[in-house]
Amino acid sequence: MSLPTVYIVDDDPAIRDALTLMLEQDRLAVETFESAEAFLSARREAASGCIIIDVRMPGMDGMHLHSELDKRHYRLPVIFLSGHGDIPMSVRAIKAGAMDFLTKPVTREKLLASVHTALRAAKAMQEHAHKTEEIKALLAELTEREREVMALAVLGHTNKEIARRLAISHRTVEIHKARIMHKTGAVNVLDLARMAQAGELPPASAV
Amino acid sequence: MSTPLGSLDFHRLFDAAADAQLLVDEMGNVLLANESACDMFGYTQAEMLTLSVEALMPVRFRDGHCMMRNAFFQHPQKRAMGNGRELFALSRDGHELMVDIGLSPIRTEEHAFVLITMLDATRRRRAQQALEISEERLRLAKRATGLGIFDYRPQEESIELDKLARMLLGLGQDEIVTDEKLLACVHPEDRVRMREAISQAMLAEGSGEYAVELRIADRDAMRNRHLAAVGQVFFEDGKAARLVGTLRDITAQKVVNEKLKQQRAEMEALMKRQVAAQTASAIAHELNQPLAALSAYSEVALHELQQGAASEKAQRALAGCVEQAHRAGSTLHELLEFLHAGHLATAPMDLLDTVQEAIAIARTDVLDGFHASFALDPTLPPVLGNRLQVQKVLSNLVRNSLDAMSTVAMMDPGITIRVQRTATEPCMAMVTVQDSGPGFDAETAQRIFEPFFTTKSHGIGMGLAISRALIQANGGQLWADSSPGHGATFHFTLPFAE
Repeated sequence: MSLPTVYIVDDDPAIRDALTLMLEQDRLAVETFESAEAFLSARREAASGCIIIDVRMPGMDGMHLHSELDKRHYRLPVIFLSGHGDIPMSVRAIKAGAMDFLTKPVTREKLLASVHTALRAAKAMQEHAHKTEEIKALLAELTEREREVMALAVLGHTNKEIARRLAISHRTVEIHKARIMHKTGAVNVLDLARMAQAGELPPASAV
Repeated sequence: MSTPLGSLDFHRLFDAAADAQLLVDEMGNVLLANESACDMFGYTQAEMLTLSVEALMPVRFRDGHCMMRNAFFQHPQKRAMGNGRELFALSRDGHELMVDIGLSPIRTEEHAFVLITMLDATRRRRAQQALEISEERLRLAKRATGLGIFDYRPQEESIELDKLARMLLGLGQDEIVTDEKLLACVHPEDRVRMREAISQAMLAEGSGEYAVELRIADRDAMRNRHLAAVGQVFFEDGKAARLVGTLRDITAQKVVNEKLKQQRAEMEALMKRQVAAQTASAIAHELNQPLAALSAYSEVALHELQQGAASEKAQRALAGCVEQAHRAGSTLHELLEFLHAGHLATAPMDLLDTVQEAIAIARTDVLDGFHASFALDPTLPPVLGNRLQVQKVLSNLVRNSLDAMSTVAMMDPGITIRVQRTATEPCMAMVTVQDSGPGFDAETAQRIFEPFFTTKSHGIGMGLAISRALIQANGGQLWADSSPGHGATFHFTLPFAE
């Protein structure tokens, strides 16, 4: 996992420089880009941290860059910087999933608070993504039959019902279930259900 | 009994007559026919004398004619034939001739005769028909175009108006029209203009053309109707004898024009506001950027110093502060330069012409319901300036005056423009625009040239600020005097070209 970085995309070099100093003073890693296009062409799909975007830029503007990041599944919390507090625009930005909408000039206090919130969110997002990966790896260990039994079990079916549905003996279902619990480390069916959802287990067919 | 000499005289006389003449008896036999009659019908005299009078008319009239002939001889009377009907004669070769016929009974002791005098009426009838057609066309044209006709003879003090003209003026169809009555139809504010237009058209040395637009106070419709009067004066012995012309209702056209003018003004105002908003937004952005950087640099430096270390970071931040402050300053300078951009092209120009043009523009652009009087010094040499800019300033001032005067009800809104030498500076001309509006107080007078200051409900308050900047760019000054209730006065100066 790379060090969380604050990316700054702003066409004004003075703003980039001043904000870099401010963030570095807080011992944060900073990378700056002079345009939306420059950031996208740097191809940082695996980047971790957050991104500060100037709304008004020549070429691709801030809002456009945000939607482009979404399209490319970048998991970076977005903080917008705007020249003036345009309320309709800030509402649109927040609705589109931005973390914050700051107005220039921005105080050190506000910027750092916003950046730290964004980094915490990034961390949570990353942890969540990490956990999902782990669960997926566990589920991948299960056999085809075990996944079938698990899918029915998390829907709340009894062992008897599962046996009838899969046309296997009650005893066999019990053995599969014990193996599933062991492999996944789940403590009960509720825990198992949570894993099925997080690990995107395909649901049991209706019939 | 006839004597040979008498008979000779009678025949000569009869033959010599220019009109075709026939002598016919009670039975309808032709007894005598003169040369003109023979020429008209194409018969020889001998042939004529074998014919009955019915043979000289188209077949369709013959039966009826015998009865009428009998009726005539029962009550012989000198008269025109036909009671105004069209009469036709038949020539030998079968052609029909249009004729006017006169009948004169002649009685001897035993016999009754009728002397028939015939005139070829073809030409007269054609002229009459042509006149009828032409009058019909005129009537149709009048109806189609809605033109009323007037015919004014000043020497006879007679005014003739057709039906439509009376309707347009709001006069009764049988009312006798006098000068006073006609004038009373016209809106009070337009009476002077109408009289001026008439006397102008009647000037012996003029073109005689009369054209004026007037308002008619329509009591029923509770609004004014607009008429356009166009006419021509005819002169006799160098004096105006007649003024003939047409009246047309142009109210609808006026209303449309008024609406268009209003829409155009609204659009213009909207655009101006938009431009102002965009400009202000651009200026704000240009200044906000360095301020945002300055603010961030300052906080970085402050934080460093609070940590107790005059580090490299603090130096860099403070250097950034200085740079950004300069950037903000030079942005402002650039903006100011941009506002005064463009090399000013000045040339010698006649102020009197420019004043007249500005008034003409104001009349077409805004409204013409105002009175403009001029006091122009004709000996004034040309001034040096940018014609378009000076014109812009003048029309701004005139427009302001008109706007100010329109805020209060006024009988005779007026603008006076004076162009003269400045008393204090011999090398400057001074233009003064004065209105009869409400004027303004001392506080307004102080602020009136500030950008974005306005007393109008629609306006961005840049007109006078721009006007003053333009006059200053042309080397002059623009200022205002006013005492409330006595109208507003604006003066500006421009240098002479010499």
